[in-house]
Amino acid sequence: MTRRNIESHRIVGIVCLIGLASAPFLLGILTLRQLTAALFLGMFAMSWDYVSGYTGQLSFGHSMFFGIGGYTAAVLNLNVGLSPVVTILAGTVAAGIAGLLVGVPALRLRGPYLALITLIAPLVLVQIVNIYPDMLGGEGGLQGMDLLVAVDEPIGVLSAVGFESAFEHRVVVYYYVALLLFLAIYALFYVFTRSYVGSVFTAIREDEDAVAAVGVDAAKFKLFAFTMSGVVGGLAAATLVHTPLAGAAPERLLVLPVSIEVVLIGFLGGMGTITGPAATGIVFYFVRDTLQASDAVIPLVGLPVGEVWEVLFYSIALLVLFALPRGVLPWLSDLSRTVRDRNDPSAEPISETH
Amino acid sequence: MSTHSTRSARDTAQSADILRLENVTKRFGSVTAIDDLSFTIRDGDIVGFIGPNGAGKSTTFDCVSGALAPTSGSVYYRGEDVTGRPQHALVRRGIARTYQTFRPLNDRTILENVALSQVPNSLFSLTDFRADTEERAREICERVGLEEYLSQTPDELPHAGLLRLEVGRALGTDPDLLLIDEPFAGLTSDEIDQTVKLFCSLREDGMTLVVIDHNMHGLLDLVDRVVVISFGEKIAQGTPEEIHNDPTVQEAYLGGEL
Repeated sequence: MTRRNIESHRIVGIVCLIGLASAPFLLGILTLRQLTAALFLGMFAMSWDYVSGYTGQLSFGHSMFFGIGGYTAAVLNLNVGLSPVVTILAGTVAAGIAGLLVGVPALRLRGPYLALITLIAPLVLVQIVNIYPDMLGGEGGLQGMDLLVAVDEPIGVLSAVGFESAFEHRVVVYYYVALLLFLAIYALFYVFTRSYVGSVFTAIREDEDAVAAVGVDAAKFKLFAFTMSGVVGGLAAATLVHTPLAGAAPERLLVLPVSIEVVLIGFLGGMGTITGPAATGIVFYFVRDTLQASDAVIPLVGLPVGEVWEVLFYSIALLVLFALPRGVLPWLSDLSRTVRDRNDPSAEPISETH
Repeated sequence: MSTHSTRSARDTAQSADILRLENVTKRFGSVTAIDDLSFTIRDGDIVGFIGPNGAGKSTTFDCVSGALAPTSGSVYYRGEDVTGRPQHALVRRGIARTYQTFRPLNDRTILENVALSQVPNSLFSLTDFRADTEERAREICERVGLEEYLSQTPDELPHAGLLRLEVGRALGTDPDLLLIDEPFAGLTSDEIDQTVKLFCSLREDGMTLVVIDHNMHGLLDLVDRVVVISFGEKIAQGTPEEIHNDPTVQEAYLGGEL
């Protein structure tokens, strides 16, 4: 990658970072609340991309990690009374153990075996939640977990910069909690995928024989990617259930559409980029929410958008996939390169993509 | 590390065996790909491993390199039983191989392809991956004649270049024993000459080479010894001259193009 290319990436990154950091001052309070939830979807998507986007081992059931992380934290908090910091840690560890339990047998084998296993595992978990409604809350899920940070009273600093009610303060505080976690996860994945570990991951995706031929145990690296991905997904979900945004409910953490969503976001954003799925997760959330809440009526057929939003939403996703099979970020990256080359024909050609 | 052990082994026992197969059999269901195959490879030799198509040459490589576990029998490397060990572990011990159907990584440059051979097999390593490994990868590329293609991707490489890439990536693991699967197929006679030169220079560095081919055309000037298999069984072993005059071998090739 040329120096100029790196620089332009850096500028875009810094602008995004400043934008995210100052979002509470730029957006309405309800939009900020949406953005907080969107950040969590971005974290889920990153966790999927780390294993599936990089190693090519497709997981169709990442919700198992979100579910195990979230439910472990919620149950330990509600039933045992452990503090959120401890339960989040426990949820994270539990998701990691699940990663090992599923990954050890599934990743020794090559091919679509992992995809099948991960497709089934969350189905089992959904049923377990329904079998123990007293402890796990059944379909309605668990509510009333302690908040990670109690914001009962207005905070002086926030009042000074113009946020009035305790509700607003709470939204702002949890936005920053989510943003910090989002950035920490992004940084962690970035460091790993840009190191030799990332080059092994993508080599596994390209050809496992080549990896074995250079003396590297592909199964070990696959298991590491899968487990670490699970740990991070579990961490995000365990944190989420200790925010005012969401309880631990199957439809948010566990059901099949949750898993499909992260796969879809990964493909749409650009597999194996981390940045693409992270950003696309945020946009995805807003597009979905906007369609869902829309009271517009589709002309000619006369259907309200809010009622048929799923059809519209997934159709849009399909169209984007057809148009940009490699995902949005690689497309943008190519586009900016083309534009730059056109403006400056002397620029040397770039052979690397990221 | 591995070159050092090679040298000392060569000093003490010139004709020590580096590889020994004892009664190795590999079955796939009811098909017997290798049948009770035994032979030894001496340290420092270049050995031709020949046989007609489907004789079991690549399957033998798979069993030696650890890609497949033999159904029965044993593989000894430097006197140690390594039967059924996984390939990545054997590579670390000094057995490298190339594939007949090349396995380039099409998502990265030639230099990065070769650089993969420099990565540690541990999840957390503080070795500075970028700096000296890239230098080493560059050296290897020069050694195998890929210096002009460093920043190109494998799909831009001619056939002979892909073979060099396979050999380069294997060299990057610092092997003592290099198994090369049918390197001469599809090469021009010029390219064959260059490849033969490269193999000879590797042997001078103390490497042992086993080279697969259909026939002995490309191998005569190169190899010290030849092992011939047919239908999974060894039918002859010896110097190229001995093999050339062997009636069983001639029959296996139907009196044809040995």
